[in-house]
Amino acid sequence: MFESLQHLASGFTIATTFYNLFYCLIGAIVGTLIGVLPGIGPIAGIALLIPATFGLNPTSAIIMLAGIYYGAMYGGSTTSILLNVPGETASVITCIDGYQMAQKGRAGPALAICAIGSFIAGTIGLFGLVFLAPPLAEAALAFGPPEYFSLMVFGFIVLSNVTGTSLIKSLMMAVVGLIIGTIGLDPVTGDARFTFGSISLLGGIEFVAVAIGLFGIAEVLTNVEKPLEMLEQRVIVPRFRELYPSLQDLKKSITAILRGTGIGFGVGLVPGPAPVIATYSSYMIERKISKHPEEFGKGAIEGVAGPESANNSACQSAFIPLFVLGIPFAPPTAILLGALLIHGVTPGPLLIGQHPELFWGVIASMYIGNFILLILNLPFVPLFANILRIPKKILLPLIILFCITGQYTVNNSVFDIGIMLLFGALGFLMRKWAYEGAPLLLALVLGPKLEVAFRQSLMISHGDFGVFINRPISMVFLLATLVFLAIPILRTVSKYLKKGGIV
Amino acid sequence: MIFIFGAITVLLSLRMPIGTFRMAGAGLFPLCLGILLMVLSSIFLLRFLFKKWQNVKKEESPSEIPGSAMQVLFFMGAMILATLFFKILGYPLVSFLLMVALLRILGMKQWPFNISLSLITAIASYFLFVQWLKIPLPKGWIGL
Repeated sequence: MFESLQHLASGFTIATTFYNLFYCLIGAIVGTLIGVLPGIGPIAGIALLIPATFGLNPTSAIIMLAGIYYGAMYGGSTTSILLNVPGETASVITCIDGYQMAQKGRAGPALAICAIGSFIAGTIGLFGLVFLAPPLAEAALAFGPPEYFSLMVFGFIVLSNVTGTSLIKSLMMAVVGLIIGTIGLDPVTGDARFTFGSISLLGGIEFVAVAIGLFGIAEVLTNVEKPLEMLEQRVIVPRFRELYPSLQDLKKSITAILRGTGIGFGVGLVPGPAPVIATYSSYMIERKISKHPEEFGKGAIEGVAGPESANNSACQSAFIPLFVLGIPFAPPTAILLGALLIHGVTPGPLLIGQHPELFWGVIASMYIGNFILLILNLPFVPLFANILRIPKKILLPLIILFCITGQYTVNNSVFDIGIMLLFGALGFLMRKWAYEGAPLLLALVLGPKLEVAFRQSLMISHGDFGVFINRPISMVFLLATLVFLAIPILRTVSKYLKKGGIV
Repeated sequence: MIFIFGAITVLLSLRMPIGTFRMAGAGLFPLCLGILLMVLSSIFLLRFLFKKWQNVKKEESPSEIPGSAMQVLFFMGAMILATLFFKILGYPLVSFLLMVALLRILGMKQWPFNISLSLITAIASYFLFVQWLKIPLPKGWIGL
């Protein structure tokens, strides 16, 4: 424990260099803007800014990209409260009571409690990360290819289970993502697969293009489809002096913040869109244990404080599987994995030992980033709110221009812009037909790892599939996978029986 | 459609070396995925048909708002054209023309405002990306 604190202190030394502080600040500001602006979320935002980090060292690059991730979470809550439009999916729950508070002239305290709650959650989450990550990394050293394979399968099933309206649709998307991930050179034999003679396809499908297409272009197209008059909304802009919550607000919120932090941290460790599940769970729990549940939905401050803290905490703990196992459990961390690989860093159990400056530097920077966001968000809320006054008919073309330019800068390739547009159109249709993009993107990023783990496992076992169930850790993951597969099936069957489908 | 995608994957995978489970070839993994996708899409199709047969209300689509498909098509068309002419015309000109087109599609009907806004955006993005960030964007025939 003492050793971890020492490492954390050295992490703070790294994170507080002028260079890293600057990139942390940039990440936090850009992230907040991305969270505030509709039409571009943290996934597309991080993907777009990866090329901007090419000239940086890996630590500064990840500090900046991580800043965008949690900055977007802060920004997303601003639009939820002021506009009733969640800047990103994790802020959907904040709309319920946050917007009601704004309607009653209490937008300021709602925004302030979001920032304070997120900061407290960030502080507690930091210690969770510091004390949990190193022992987990040691435990993960026992993982071989079969364990990694089973863990990734488990991740896909859980993610498919908790995203979207239908498990089967999400599973299909995950398999489509895995198939797209096989395009290019075979990672073991070097044979070209599904390239149709194209040199551009030899390197595989650029995941940044898929991320921007599915989550950036598709979102813009969804907005474009709406009738023009629906593109403009009324914005409530709070004044600076109205921002500070009363003592009573703080009293009401503190326990909700602490509960939200605990829920968020736990949820972030398991596969799935952690911030979304964490905010939802926190809201439900707060409403259930509240002495005044009737106030929820009408502007209860606990309904903002709990979910926002859970959101921030989940974002932080989501870094544990990424750093410790090298396996991201949600699309934003999948994009960060891609960024790490581009910078020549392979996350996994050895990361803490091989790149301590990166691991501890990024963790410390997350704390500093939270502090920057706390200082930045409160006084600048009126400014961010004013950005929302830019009409969407101007904002959407600007986002498109930024997406095209950003995509080109990744590989200086027009072909990649084409791929981005293709996935943009696909993402638009997927939204219309209620298919989720998250399993597809995660499968695309993890696909090559999954394939290598699968083939290595079978090589070790001389083609015997028993290798996946004979090893205890792998078996536990597969059993858990079966449970998660069985839950929706049992639910459907019981619903059917209740309806009297079978006599 | 997803079933067809799975079937095509299977057919193309079969043209690659499959190998054995002990020593898998390049085609084995995609072959397994293609089959899995075909199975999943068949289950989905059967469930869909079963629901229809039971006259259960169709799954709700998230976009219930009456939208303008033409607007999306024009928007997409403008982006495709911009991509096709990206290298030929160069970044500054393409960004200007793309902005003009997209603003127009979104209902910005006053030409002076549309053109000036597009021009400002094109110039600002040129200075941001090309001059300040030194990103080698295509110069095209205008040579900027």
